[in-house]
Amino acid sequence: MNDGQKANTSDIERLVKASQAGDRNAFDKLVRLYQRRVMRMAVRMLGNANEAAEVVQAGFVKAYLGIGKLRNPKRFEVWLLRIVANAAISRARAAKRRAEKVKVAGYYENKKNLSPVERASARELKEAIQQAMLKLSKKEAKAIALFGLKDLSHRQVSEIMGCSVEAARWHVFRARQKLKGLLKDHL
Amino acid sequence: MKDKNEQIDLLIERNTTEQLEAVDWDRLNTAISRRLDQARQSTTSRLRFRTVFKIAAGFAAAAAVVFVLVAVRTDTPTTVRFENRGRAVVKFVESKGSAKVEIKHTSAKATVMVGGGISLKRVAKCDIKIIDANGDKEKNGSRAAWIIIRMPEPVLADNGISRDENDFACLL
Repeated sequence: MNDGQKANTSDIERLVKASQAGDRNAFDKLVRLYQRRVMRMAVRMLGNANEAAEVVQAGFVKAYLGIGKLRNPKRFEVWLLRIVANAAISRARAAKRRAEKVKVAGYYENKKNLSPVERASARELKEAIQQAMLKLSKKEAKAIALFGLKDLSHRQVSEIMGCSVEAARWHVFRARQKLKGLLKDHL
Repeated sequence: MKDKNEQIDLLIERNTTEQLEAVDWDRLNTAISRRLDQARQSTTSRLRFRTVFKIAAGFAAAAAVVFVLVAVRTDTPTTVRFENRGRAVVKFVESKGSAKVEIKHTSAKATVMVGGGISLKRVAKCDIKIIDANGDKEKNGSRAAWIIIRMPEPVLADNGISRDENDFACLL
């Protein structure tokens, strides 16, 4: 868990079991432990931090309401990432249908002191990636987002995607092929 | 080929890192916490509403069953069965004494099943005695006659009414 505070497996298991017993504070700790990791995955999938923040909130709510159904607490991370990945897919589809404009204000506020040229370049890249990710299939978007997460094995990626490791690798390959064409101006 | 793949990965990673650097994590955490509170409240109120609804539905079902039972008991006519396969339906118009009887066959002996049409709590068998069955037949084939229906002792004991008062005189 490089994206947040460190916690060992037994701590996670204990927190999951406490959450299943109705301990809200335990779930809040899980949120703090995993929010950066799931946020990273959502940003990779959607290309936009504001959209990702909405997806992460919805994902945590869904996980909170359904945590009682999680049989193996050790699989919490895989289970949570799958929930958020599916929420991101739904969000991306809805955005595609509505041809939604990128929100400027929100959780993503650029704090860095960038020059106007750098800022424009960053915004351009963000919008290009966001549009490109919308053109991928849901499996391809999931695959490219999950394969980029550190400490996540290929087997875990395939579990989250609900397919074999080989199929997941194939989806990554296809996603990269498509993105090469879509983002050629930025390469 | 590999370089291009790496470039794609680096591009996505660069965009992700840039955006994550600018995320206000405390604000996001507060928003998640608020959403969780809302979800819990809405779940609690949904469960409460479901419980209230179940109780109300239970009461309504029980009331409906009671209503049906009362209606069935009230509408159940007293049936007179004659030994030679005759059958008559007795509708009591008063709590005791007179009754309207539709008769298809007459006989010297018969039994009557007294149902919910009168104030008895249960069905009771009664003896029936035809006093006079010599009247003229009407168009529909029925014949006027007087009968006496005697109630059994245990039923009378339940009602606390003497036998003489509770004997029924019916015009057939």
